[in-house]
Amino acid sequence: MKSARPIIEVKNLVKKYGKFTAVNDVSFEVKEGELFGILGPNGAGKTTTLEIIETLKAPTKGEIIVDGLNIADHAAEVKRRIGVQLQATGFYPELSLIDLLNLFAALYDVKIDPMAALKEVQLEDKAGSFFEKLSGGQKQRFSIASTLINKPRIIFLDEPTTGLDPQARINLWEMIRVIRKQGTTIVMTTHYMEEAEALCDRLAIMDSGKIIKTGTPHQLIDDLLATGFKKPIERKQASLEDVFLHLTGKALRDE
Amino acid sequence: MNKNPSQMRAYLAMSYYTLRATVRNPATLAFGFAFPLVFISIFGLIGGSSQSLTLGLPDQTGQDNPIIQTVKNLSFIKTETGSTSVLEQRLIQGKLDGLLVVDSKPTTPPTYAVSLTTTSGNPTGAATAKTVVSGLVDKLNLKLSGVSSPPVSFAEQEVSGRKFRYIDFVLPGQIGFSLLSTAMFSTVFGFIALKRLLVFKRMFATPVQALTILLAQGTSRMIIALAQTIMIIALGVIAFNFYLPHGLQTFMELIVLSIIGLISFMGFGIFASGFASNENTAGPIVNLVTLPQFLISGVFFPTDSLPNWVQPIANNLPLSYFNQAVRKVTTEGGSLPETWSYVAGLVAWGAVMYILATRTFKWE
Repeated sequence: MKSARPIIEVKNLVKKYGKFTAVNDVSFEVKEGELFGILGPNGAGKTTTLEIIETLKAPTKGEIIVDGLNIADHAAEVKRRIGVQLQATGFYPELSLIDLLNLFAALYDVKIDPMAALKEVQLEDKAGSFFEKLSGGQKQRFSIASTLINKPRIIFLDEPTTGLDPQARINLWEMIRVIRKQGTTIVMTTHYMEEAEALCDRLAIMDSGKIIKTGTPHQLIDDLLATGFKKPIERKQASLEDVFLHLTGKALRDE
Repeated sequence: MNKNPSQMRAYLAMSYYTLRATVRNPATLAFGFAFPLVFISIFGLIGGSSQSLTLGLPDQTGQDNPIIQTVKNLSFIKTETGSTSVLEQRLIQGKLDGLLVVDSKPTTPPTYAVSLTTTSGNPTGAATAKTVVSGLVDKLNLKLSGVSSPPVSFAEQEVSGRKFRYIDFVLPGQIGFSLLSTAMFSTVFGFIALKRLLVFKRMFATPVQALTILLAQGTSRMIIALAQTIMIIALGVIAFNFYLPHGLQTFMELIVLSIIGLISFMGFGIFASGFASNENTAGPIVNLVTLPQFLISGVFFPTDSLPNWVQPIANNLPLSYFNQAVRKVTTEGGSLPETWSYVAGLVAWGAVMYILATRTFKWE
């Protein structure tokens, strides 16, 4: 975020499915090394936007530059430089985690140490388990491990914490922060405000296929306050989540 | 695929791991391996007993006369003894082809009255029993009358050949059955699952090419299908004495035909997986393609026995082409080049399906 160089540039992106416009003239930049969040309700066009940048879907209109490469002309090279976590599974249910990592190492044509990769996401004791036997949080952690196989410059996480319990979510936040500290640019979508506030350097708020506002979480809040906005109810010094975590602890609950 | 070395590594890894995931799926093993094994075992055993004649010998008949002795010595005649009433019951049920009673009169030399009881309910068995027994009686009459050089002589020449048994017909059909099952069930349901679980999509997020993914999917199924073919042939040869006219050469020809057959059948699978959006709609589509072919493509009985108007359809189905090609090299002892017209039929069906598949196929 300190560096001014944009690693992703999205210019006037449009995606239409027949008459339905999923993404409507969206432009934004992601800077190198930052954790960029796309925030929005379901159906806002977050996943579609992400999948177009990931070269999984063709845009109807618009130009996208990833790490200096126009994705329209360099899809294969872009795929080498990015890591992708899909919103749902994406793995053979009947393969062990070691098998899956070896498979993806072959798909990226890189050499990896599968055990070390699993250790990074605290799954070394699940090395021989089938993907389908993992808990929700373990699946997401494994999915993140799979995005790091090719040592990507950018990783894309699509709603990585949806459906997780609070412990698993906090654990995943930690993992995401560690990856960011190692210098990887991260683009993630979420529909949890507290997640966006806790994690993201900058945010784009998206609704009905359009980006409504972009900025740091503080900027966005300050801008709102500047309009004279006041919260109707005074906020307590702790939330129910704080109570829950105080009572149940932060230790992970994946078996 | 060959231009880029990383595609080759990706191809090999995907083929290997897809195969690994597939063999862990119990449905694959049931359809591809267990069904053909059960069918062959059942039909192999049926085929073994179809050539014999079973005669009942009621207790009252004397055992030590030349007629009964000869009957008992003939390997293709089975005999059953018991009380007349029990044997008559068995005859009516069709379990026996005839009842043979011989009364001997202690004259010198002794004379015999042979009587054969048959039933109109089993005309084939009755006719065979009548022919065999009357032939025996004639022969013995000549012998006992001391005629050593009868005016009409009879000599039989046999052209060397081999016995046709039901297993020789049904085993080639089972190879076709298992190939079409694998191609349809494993391709359609497999692809739908991989789409639903976003496995294909996740692979597309890597630099691997679409063609490489498809080739690897095909290769892993090819390995499974060839394992099935080899297993079926091995079971036939070892347990049921299935005949390979030219030994290893015929075996290799069967492998080549299986490869061509599977590639063609997979065209149907890929095409069908394109417009079946989920497992529920896939079921009827898969059955629509497979069931009629299992019935009328000569899997279990020859297409010759079908009504005339069905035959032109039945003989031109892809599975019929495959079965005819396989029988050409097994039952008929032909060589691979002689199967060219059937192979051309398979290739034509496959080509049409792959062209259609390019229009329906979706990765997600």
